[in-house]
This record gives sequence, C-alpha cells and structure tokens, in this order.
Amino acid sequence: MKITELAGRKRKMTGITNILQRVGFSPSGFILLVVLAVLPFIPPFSSEFILRWLIFGAFLAAQAVAFDLTAGYINVVNFGFAAILGLGAYTSAILANTSPYLIVQTGLTPWIGMFIGAIVAGFVGFILGFLTLRLRGLYAAIMAWFVGIAILGLARNLIKLTRGSLGLSPPSLLETSSNRPYFYIILTMMVAIYIICKIVTRSHYGLAFRALGQNIDAARASGINPTKYRVFNFTLSCFCAGLLGGFYAHYFVSLTPQAVMHTSKTVEVLAIAFIGGRGFLWGGILTAFPFVFFIEYLRSALPGLPGLHLVIYGVLMVLVMIYYPKGLAGFVVWAREKIKIYKEEKNGGF
Amino acid sequence: MLKIQDINAGYGFLQVLWDVVFEISEGEFVALLGPNGAGKSTTLRTIVGLIKPMKGEITFKDTQITPLTTHEIVNMGLSYVSESLNLFVNMSVYENLLLGAYTIKDVKIVDETIDFVFNLFPQLAERKKQLAGTLSGGERKMLAIARGMMSKPDLIMVDEPSLGLAPNLVENVFEALERLHEGGITILLVEQNVTLTLEITDRAYVIEQGKIVLSGKSSNLKKNDHVKSVYLGI
Amino acid sequence: MAERINSNDKTKTRKPAKKRVFGKLKTRTSAWVVIAVTIGLAIVIGKVGGVAQVVNAVVSGGMWALLAVGLALILGVMNIPNFSHGESFMVGAYVAYFVFSPLYKYNLVSGSKFLFIVGPFIGFIAAALAGFILGIIIERLIFSPLRKRTRERWVMNAFLLTVGISFILTNGTNLVIGPNFRGIPRYWDVAPFSFLGVRLTVDRIVAFTIAVVSIAVLWFFLRRTKTGRAIRAVSQDESGADMVGINIQFIHTLTFGLGTSMASVAGACLLFMFQAYPTVGLKPLYFAWYVVMLVGLGNVSGAIVGGFIVAFLQAGTQQFIGVAWEEVVPTIVMMLVLIVAPSGIFGSEVKGIQEQ
Ligand SMILES: Nc1ncnc2c1ncn2[C@@H]1O[C@H](COP(=O)(O)OP(=O)(O)OP(=O)(O)O)[C@@H](O)[C@H]1O
Ligand SMILES: [Mg+2]
Repeated sequence: MKITELAGRKRKMTGITNILQRVGFSPSGFILLVVLAVLPFIPPFSSEFILRWLIFGAFLAAQAVAFDLTAGYINVVNFGFAAILGLGAYTSAILANTSPYLIVQTGLTPWIGMFIGAIVAGFVGFILGFLTLRLRGLYAAIMAWFVGIAILGLARNLIKLTRGSLGLSPPSLLETSSNRPYFYIILTMMVAIYIICKIVTRSHYGLAFRALGQNIDAARASGINPTKYRVFNFTLSCFCAGLLGGFYAHYFVSLTPQAVMHTSKTVEVLAIAFIGGRGFLWGGILTAFPFVFFIEYLRSALPGLPGLHLVIYGVLMVLVMIYYPKGLAGFVVWAREKIKIYKEEKNGGF
Repeated sequence: MLKIQDINAGYGFLQVLWDVVFEISEGEFVALLGPNGAGKSTTLRTIVGLIKPMKGEITFKDTQITPLTTHEIVNMGLSYVSESLNLFVNMSVYENLLLGAYTIKDVKIVDETIDFVFNLFPQLAERKKQLAGTLSGGERKMLAIARGMMSKPDLIMVDEPSLGLAPNLVENVFEALERLHEGGITILLVEQNVTLTLEITDRAYVIEQGKIVLSGKSSNLKKNDHVKSVYLGI
Repeated sequence: MAERINSNDKTKTRKPAKKRVFGKLKTRTSAWVVIAVTIGLAIVIGKVGGVAQVVNAVVSGGMWALLAVGLALILGVMNIPNFSHGESFMVGAYVAYFVFSPLYKYNLVSGSKFLFIVGPFIGFIAAALAGFILGIIIERLIFSPLRKRTRERWVMNAFLLTVGISFILTNGTNLVIGPNFRGIPRYWDVAPFSFLGVRLTVDRIVAFTIAVVSIAVLWFFLRRTKTGRAIRAVSQDESGADMVGINIQFIHTLTFGLGTSMASVAGACLLFMFQAYPTVGLKPLYFAWYVVMLVGLGNVSGAIVGGFIVAFLQAGTQQFIGVAWEEVVPTIVMMLVLIVAPSGIFGSEVKGIQEQ
C-alpha cells in the first residue's frame, strides 16, 4: 500500500538518533527528557514541594498528549475527557476499596486496578467513538460533553458505589511519603503514552487519522474506513486517560466527582494541548511543565488571587487560537526550519 | 462612471486578473465577454469589494472605492447580481425585494421601486408571497435582478443572467435589461451568450485568461475575426 | 473572502428540491411525534404528580426556551456554537443581584411602594444592558478579529474560543467577586397566587411572563423590522446580505449582543432560584444546548418549542425514573434523536455546520 510506504519512508540516519527518531524524539527533545529525569536530584527541584509541581506537570502533559490524539488528529474535541479520566480513577479506587461503607470491597491492589480502570475507560471510549461516529466536529464534541456529564452525574448519584459528592479516599500507590518515586512513575507513564501515540500516528493510522480530520467524506472516498480509525483513536485516547486517572486516584488519594470530572478540567487540558499546538503530541508536554511552574509560582506569590492562573490559561488559549493557531509546537517547528535554512545558507557561502 | 485601472486580483496565491483596464461612462450598456474561467466573475467581485485587488485602483463616481467594503460600495449606488444569485431562499419574494432596498431610508421610494420592478417582471408580482427558494430558475434570475434594482443603483452589474435558462426566458431577461437601460441605468453585463449580448449592448470588452484582449463598439466587434471565430462560431 | 464565495457555490449545488421536501416531511413527522409524546407526558405527569408539576415544568420551559433562543440565534446567524452562553446567564444573575439588593435594602427603610414594585425590573433591565454590552465587547474583541483572520474551520474554532471565553469569565468572576453564593429569597414579598390549585409565587409568574414577552418581542423584531430582516438575511446568505448593502459586522455585533442579553435576562429573572456564583451558568448552558441539539442547531422557532419539551422530559425523569438519573436521561435522549434525526427534530438551519 502506498500509504504505508510513505509513512515508512525515513531519512537515513545512524545509530541512536535513528532509534530515537523512530519513537518520536528529536535529539533536542531527548536531551530535554533526560534533563527532566535527573531534575529531582538537583537542589531546588529535589524538594518535596517542587517535586509535586513536577508530578503535576507530567500528569497534565500526559493528559495533553492523549487529548491531542483525538483533537489534533481526527479533529474531534473530546469534551468528556475529564469524565473518562475520572471513570478510570473511580474504577481503580472502588476496586481497591476495603471499607464497609461501599458495596464493593474487593481490596484489589492499585497496580492492577489502574489497568482495569484504563480498560474500562478505554471501553467507554470505544462506545463513545461509535456514538460520535456519524457526527461531525461540533455534534461529536457536544455529544461527548453530554456523555461526560452523564458519567459525572452517575458518580455523584450512585452513592453506594462512590459515596457521591463526599468522594473516596483510595489507598496510595506506594508506601512512601517521598514524591520522587511517584515522579518517576508518572514520567514513565507520560513517556510511554507519548511513544505509543507517536508510533500509532507515525504508522498508516496517523495518515488515516489526519485524512479523517481534514475531510471525512474525501477520506471515505479514498478507501479509509472511518469506523475503524475513529473508534480506535477514541479507545486509545480514553485508555490513556483512564490510566492517568488511576494514577491520580492513588497519588492524590482523594477523589470527588467535582474535582476530577468537571468540564473545566477538560478545558484545562484543552488549553494546554492547544497552546502547545495541535497535531504534534509533544506540544502539550513542552507547555505543561513551564505552565505548572509559572502557575504554582503565581499561586505562592499572590495567594490572595485564587484562580488567577486559570484566567491566564483562558486568555492565552484565546490569544493563541486567534493569532497563532499552530501553537508552541508550530513555532518550534518553524524556528527549526529557519535555523536550518540559515545554516545551509552559511555553509553554502563557504 | 466606473474606471478600472491596472487591476491584479485573485484568490489566495492564485492570481486570476492581470492588469485589467476598462471604463464605463454614464448611461452606457457595456458587456464583458470571455470564455469560462477567464476571470469575468472575478472582475465583478473585485469591483464590488468581495475580493481585494493586489494592485490597481477602482474609481466609481470619482471616488476611490478600492479600500471600501462591499456594503459601503453598494451604498454608493453600485449594485451587483452574482452568478449564484445569493437570494435569501427562506424568505418571500417580497422580503427579498425589501432587503434589496436596505440602503434606502424612505419607505415611499421603496414602495415605488417595488411597483416598478413588479411592472418590469409581472411574474414576480404574482408570486409575491412565495419563498424565493421555491421559485423556478428563470424566476430566480428575475428576482435577483429585481433585487439588484431595488437599491436604485446608478450602475448595475449582472453576471451571466442567461446561464441555464431556456431561450425564451433568456430573451425575457434581456428585454428587461434593455428596458432598464432605456430607463437611464448604466449596466455592466457579463455574458456567454455573445450573439444576443452584442445585439443589445453599446460596447464590449473581451477578457481572456485574465487579460483584456479586445474592446470596442458592439457592432464593430460582431465583425471582428477573433470574435467571429471564437465566440460566434462563424 | 475566498472562503465566503466558496460557501456560496455550495448553496448552488444544493440537494434536488424533491428530496428536500421529503426531508422536510420526515422532520415534520418526527417533530409532531415528539410534540405529541410531550403533551402525553405532561398529562401523565399531571395525573400522577399533580398539576403543580406541570405548572412548574411550563415555567422552567419558558426559561429554557429563552436561553435556547439566544443560543440558536447566535448559532444561526453567526455560526458560533456558544459555549459561554451560561456565563451570560451568570453575568445577568450577578448584575441583578448587585442592582436589586441595595434597592431592596433602601426600600426596607423608605418603604416606597413604587420602588417595591419596580425595583426588580430595574435589576432585569440592568442585566439586559450588561449582557448586551458584554456581547458587544466579546464580538468585537474576539470574533471580529478571528473572522478577519481566517474563515477556515470557523465553526469548530469559534466553538473552542467560546470555551476559552467561558473559562475566562468563570474564573475571572471567581477572582474578582469570589466564590460565594449571592442570592435573594424572592424579588417580591407578596403572598403566592393560587392557580388551578397550585400556589405560584409572583416571581415565577413574572419570570415566565418576561420569557414569553422577550421571545415574542424578538420574534416580532426578526419578522417585522428592517434590522431584524437584515439579521435573517445574514443568517441565510452572508454574501447576499453584503450585496444588498447590509453592514455584516454591525449585524453580527448586534446579534451577539442580543443573544447574550437574552441569557442575562434569564439569569436575572431566575436569581431567586439560581443564586449567583461563578459557575452558575453550567446548568443553564447544559439545558440550552440540550434544547438546541434536540430541535436542530440554529433553529430559532424550534428552540421555543424545544424549551418546553425539555422541561417536560426533565419533569418526567424526576417523576418516574428518579432524580439520580437526571443527567443520564438527556444523554440517552440525545443519542436517540441524533440517530433518528441527525440534524434535530425540526431540522438544522445552520449552513456550514455539516462541514467540519
Ligand atoms: N473562490 C475561488 N477560489 C479559488 N479560485 C477561484 C475561485 N473562484 C474562481 N476561481 C478561479 O478563478 C478563475 C476565474 O474564475 P471566474 O469565476 O472569474 O471565471 P469566469 O470568467 O466568471 O468563468 P465562467 O464563465 O465559468 O463563470 C478560474 O480559474 C477559477 O477556477
Ligand atoms: Mg463567472
């Protein structure tokens, strides 16, 4: 097939760069990742306080990657993203429950529960993919939003299962008070999600996604089966969200419907993903960390202004969408091209 | 009345018009002829401000209209009947006409003009309450021209009124245009029906691949060899 | 500009007339079925739960209709799926609160009868004005620049922008005014009326009346005035509107202002039910969208009926299925509707929504 050939065609590269490139890292991107990985041992960042910021950054970044898989490729904004993440979190938390207040007391270890949560979330994503299949952009977004609100409503109302608005206190993942191990767990998750999504989008799936995102009828006419690709995309994205939900549940050890599933949580992820740039996957990662730091700094510097960071999120998102829709990643790509051209010109001069 | 100087225009990176120059004086009936895709409609769209020219100047009634927006240009007394007609399909014939007179404040004048166009197109008067979307092709053309008339323009530009019409309807429409012209209105007509057009117009320009290649009195153009062989098929 | 001309060419290659008539018939039938079911539901609710339930549903139906009409208007004329509609509601609630409360306090001292009656209306008018101004600012600041930059993927981009606006407004309010609930027990301290054996407060009656009157005025404005006709013209064919000399920018600003203002009025009228707080708009937004998706995007007249349909569906859910499922039933209903009639039961009137 022609598509696969195109996708498989790679520039000739040597050794390690080649391998990195295959899993979606440019050399500079990889260096950034290594820096991130050693950060917890470098003084200001090694404090528990700042480690929490790093964890939160990685958590947001990973969400943005999973979100971008649908929003940036098949052009469907999954407005129920936070609810699906919450579904994963709740599944794992309920399975881990041992207290007699709930009807389920399996006491399953979070390590397995997280994956079950992810599977449940993935399954709902599968259904959501089918539901929104025939719907174009806006309809699909609203439908996903309604599904998200339905899940939120269930979490609030199935009191015997979820304790309703009171929320759950799931057990923590590790028996340690240090944040460092958690950082490496979420960092691994983030990298794994990124690599999986990148490999998928690098394959002929990615081309099919983009074709569907551009024009679903034209894509169908050229033999791309929308059902298969859209449903797969939703399933994968929601699976990742569910997994991250599991991490949330067992790291923050507190879960209320409002705090994880609310529409505004989806909007936060959406803002990060869009400011980062749609359709690159790594844009969100690049944005999330500086953002979290900036925001947490704001929060500690101006304690009297709660939610200022959210306003800034919103304003930035609006500005980016009007004036620079390519986002941060688009800018980086553009700058890289410029530098390359400049270098070539310079070399050509000699 | 209308003067177009060295216009370059197009869509995005695609340039369609190259140094287009022409001029229409008051009271004239001028045709713009050319093959498909020559840029006739693009010329009209540029004049009316739907497309901004990359280069050149358009003057209407001694005012530079290049920087103006469409509704400002229409307000100055220039009316445009597009190829796709752009009727308000979910509104009645009457409402379409009322909207055509949007720029006119005086209700009495509006009523008079409506009488005038109903007189011009009696078929429309019979279908006053009918939705524009349910009119026949010919009736739509008439409605579009009538709507264009409603603003009491000094110059009306009509894009291919004969497109897709049966011959007898074409004659109807052309007759209506002639009557308008006799009433003192300046007309710029874009047409593919060259024989008929050269019959009724005073002058004509021929545009090919975005450039004006010929111009002159209609009666002279009829005898021109190029026009004969390419457009009249003689 | 090129985009606009393209979209016109599309109207030319519309579906053949025969098919459209059939399509219309089909949507008509489904509309009648839904209306009949709603009336049946109303009767059953009346029989089982008492007339009070029905009256309550009618009152909230009026409000959902008012909200949905504003949403549908903005959607139909400007192709903007407004996710910040709830924030217009919120602004209305706050403005009414901040205008009415001092008046109320003053009145406790002065005891002016006139002010007692008129005070709430001053709050409503202030809310309507504030909403109108907010709409104008948003349109000028955000949509106008976007429209000039690009018309590509307009619907989705506009939608996401309104998401951003909603986010800014809720969090901005939280920042400036704080998260506290600000409400009033009632606007008019009068004993409730009795109607069909149902006790109805003056507040409710007035809220319903205002909803009905606002919708009627809007209807008249759109049908009978020159500017209203221009608004409809823009919604049907933007280039055509441009060609007859309508200032589209002005119409857009006006429309957004009107739509926003209607939501603000709803927020003000319902202050006695929904206290003002930053995210108070979420539920109204949800219902407005529910209505609009159900009846067909951008269908203004459908939205009026839809408000009542939704109110009865909700009343029925509470009565027969249980409050716990209040958020689940709409999702299922919407799924079914979108499967049976993908462009809503009354049909969509928005061009360009079908393209991505
Ligand atoms: N909206 C558009 N976007 C891009 N290109 C366009 C657009 N409209 C027209 N063109 C191109 O511009 C060129 C001139 O088109 P134009 O419509 O002016 O031709 P015309 O002379 O009116 O032809 P016809 O007699 O078929 O109406 C054509 O090549 C056409 O493909
Ligand atoms: Mg043409």
